Amino acid sequence: MCQQQLHCSISPCDRWSWCLPVKWFMLGRGLKRKLSDYEENMAGLSSAFDSSRNLTYPLKRQLVLNMCLTKLQTYKMLVEPDLHRSVLIANTVRQIQEEMRQETSQQPVNVCNGLGLHSQNYTGVDSAGISAQLLSGVNQQESNCCDSRSAEEPIENGLLMVSDDDMSSAISSILKDLDFMEDISPPTCLVPAGDDQPKSPENVGLKLEDDRQELKGAECVFGSFEISNSTSYLKDLAIDDIFEDIDTSMYDSDFCCPPQMPSRVPSATTEETLKTFPTCNSSSTNSIQICRTDLSELDHIMEILVGS
Amino acid sequence: MPFSLSQPSRSRNPAPSKPGPHSSQPGFNSVSKYFMSARGRCPQSQHVEEAGVFPEGHTGCSAREPRQHLSPSQSRLTGALPAQDSGSSPAARWPPCSGGAGGEPTRVPSPPPPGVAGGAGGGNDFQWCFSQVKGAIDEDVAEADIISTVEFNYSGDLLATGDKGGRVVIFQREQENKSRPHSRGEYNVYSTFQSHEPEFDYLKSLEIEEKINKIRWLPQQNAAHFLLSTNDKTIKLWKISERDKRAEGYNLKDEDGRLRDPFRITALRVPILKPMDLMVEASPRRIFANAHTYHINSISVNSDHETYLSADDLRINLWHLEITDRSFNIVDIKPANMEELTEVITAAEFHPHHCNVFVYSSSKGTIRLCDMRSSALCDRHSKFFEEPEDPSSRSFFSEIISSISDVKFSHSGRYMMTRDYLSVKVWDLNMENRPVETYQVHEYLRSKLCSLYENDCIFDKFECCWNGSDSAIMTGSYNNFFRMFDRNTRRDITLEASRESSKPRAILKPRKVCTGGKRKKDEISVDSLDFNKKILHTAWHPTENIIAVAATNNLYIFQDKIN
Repeated sequence: MCQQQLHCSISPCDRWSWCLPVKWFMLGRGLKRKLSDYEENMAGLSSAFDSSRNLTYPLKRQLVLNMCLTKLQTYKMLVEPDLHRSVLIANTVRQIQEEMRQETSQQPVNVCNGLGLHSQNYTGVDSAGISAQLLSGVNQQESNCCDSRSAEEPIENGLLMVSDDDMSSAISSILKDLDFMEDISPPTCLVPAGDDQPKSPENVGLKLEDDRQELKGAECVFGSFEISNSTSYLKDLAIDDIFEDIDTSMYDSDFCCPPQMPSRVPSATTEETLKTFPTCNSSSTNSIQICRTDLSELDHIMEILVGS
Repeated sequence: MPFSLSQPSRSRNPAPSKPGPHSSQPGFNSVSKYFMSARGRCPQSQHVEEAGVFPEGHTGCSAREPRQHLSPSQSRLTGALPAQDSGSSPAARWPPCSGGAGGEPTRVPSPPPPGVAGGAGGGNDFQWCFSQVKGAIDEDVAEADIISTVEFNYSGDLLATGDKGGRVVIFQREQENKSRPHSRGEYNVYSTFQSHEPEFDYLKSLEIEEKINKIRWLPQQNAAHFLLSTNDKTIKLWKISERDKRAEGYNLKDEDGRLRDPFRITALRVPILKPMDLMVEASPRRIFANAHTYHINSISVNSDHETYLSADDLRINLWHLEITDRSFNIVDIKPANMEELTEVITAAEFHPHHCNVFVYSSSKGTIRLCDMRSSALCDRHSKFFEEPEDPSSRSFFSEIISSISDVKFSHSGRYMMTRDYLSVKVWDLNMENRPVETYQVHEYLRSKLCSLYENDCIFDKFECCWNGSDSAIMTGSYNNFFRMFDRNTRRDITLEASRESSKPRAILKPRKVCTGGKRKKDEISVDSLDFNKKILHTAWHPTENIIAVAATNNLYIFQDKIN
């Protein structure tokens, strides 16, 4: 499989501009490629799809799937992706995934082989390779059983295998995500992957960051609706790692509430509830406030440690 | 000095007309009676509750604890029958909205007599001709100049446009000139103001666009005009008023504004009003902010003229025009687990006559009609409109193209129209299982869906509109084409908004897209359509055959040919 390079750049002004020609950017995992070549190929693919030439149904489906995934990947890069579009694309991906799942459950062997043959014959399918690269990134991180199989069979089959498992978790992570900025609503709303309630606020922030990095290659699109990527710098610090063994429980009650109070009032995003301020151990606290709380606690701890 | 009453010919301050025929029926009070007072009398069950706390056994309101309450609209909050209210001044100012005569809340009563008089028949019995075009001619279009919404006011004398740069431009129709009987009044710029500025949300490190998503006029009640304009997050109520007189002869101030020394004044005089050049001022009267987490896609003024709704992707809020610090959430489709999100709200509108009824459309091609009398939180619909899918036309993009981009009630209130990517559907409110009429706007695009998906055109949100008598509908397409469908004769026409056909009173030539085979002369093939030139926003004058079509940064005004 020849290595091809994808060049990606997104200008902040290009968000869904109607009048300017829409540029098609794609994100690769270290792959670069001339943009014009890619565009030509994609345009060729789309028109081939539309004219139903030389494309079997599974290939068409694969093409659409690839387009969806690359779009979601692109959206993830945006500061503020469009929820409406993301939902539509995610539904399309789910629908295709469901179809593929049904097919593989009916014919576990034949489909793969058949696809492998077809995709080898099909020329100019750069996108399939590219998307394989995309998802193989996911695959590596997930390190599931698909690894062995994808090594044996052509990449397109690996793509098929990968998409099924990874996509379901990827789609879950698209929509789940961090509603921190959002409603200070009942704790049931806000559950990081597999988390349970009694986690203290600091660890919640950490855990979520871990989840994010796990599924980095996938489409954590909906999460960014609540927390923009730019706030990740606060979580990326991972300061808490150093101080994990320090018991800060006595500071929770002191420091959680006061910093929250003044910053909650001018918060631009709360809209609905009339609830009183959440208790400091509630997982429904604002993550920024969690981080700020963390930092103020850490300052205090540092002062104690340094003895100043 | 005689007091001069002369006014420039352009200034017209018509006395507010009586409320239109559709609001003259006696009926229920304004919907504001359903808002909880601070003291908390639930109008349904008459239970009284302390602030926010309901007594046990209270089942009158929705199961969810109400989160926000609006203060009562003075005397209107009693749940009493309208007869008791008719004497008070608020009732006189805001006519009671017509409601159904008791019975089930979901029953939609027979429509009132057509509220809009006059207007020619369908869209095709006559010819459309060019009237005006507004906007720059440059090939290079600044993104801030792209028009994002167009709306006539209730009388049709004012036409408002909003653009991506956050500006609102209002055109006013000039008086018809006796010396030029062949031309109807032209629309000229009346007021321009900056409605929204780009904002930066520091908490999320996001820039909030200043693009005006929607403008909705309020019915006129005095000499001033009011409109609501919204961007993604904030709704503003603007007052546009005229000033054509100024006072001269102040005692304490010089003509140039310098203060006079009171001790130097030896005689007093009465200031005199003198005419001046007409000045149109726009001032923001209310700012409704911080109520939406997602992007606002619709606003709709209620028929009670006191409240309005704003809808974003997952929620719909109900506001009172006088109250800016609180709104009432009436629809919330956000799942507890965002993982399960499969559907978003795409548009919402109040019923034109029933102040308790509204509809909202979804990205799955469904429309829900809700009755606010049934519960405080209208998560459960009263009616559910969905057309079963045609299995023969199923494709990967079926769901995407079924997403409804606009929903509009007819003026009569009996029908509603929805626009999805390829078609326009007219629904009878009494029939939920399928639309009564379906019009294909650009079916030739069905075979191009993959390319349109790739360049994101498949996500374009086209709007649609009714004519004044509900006999015709109009919507936009690509290549600066727009389509009109006559519901009675079933004829349709495709016209183009272009500079080439922009000679005054030039008749527009119908256009045709060639779908296959040999291309006839004057036809255009699908592959040569310009997908960057899209007409998303159109508006039809409420009583006459005048249409406004927004083509990127230009606003075209067409009217029917006068014989």
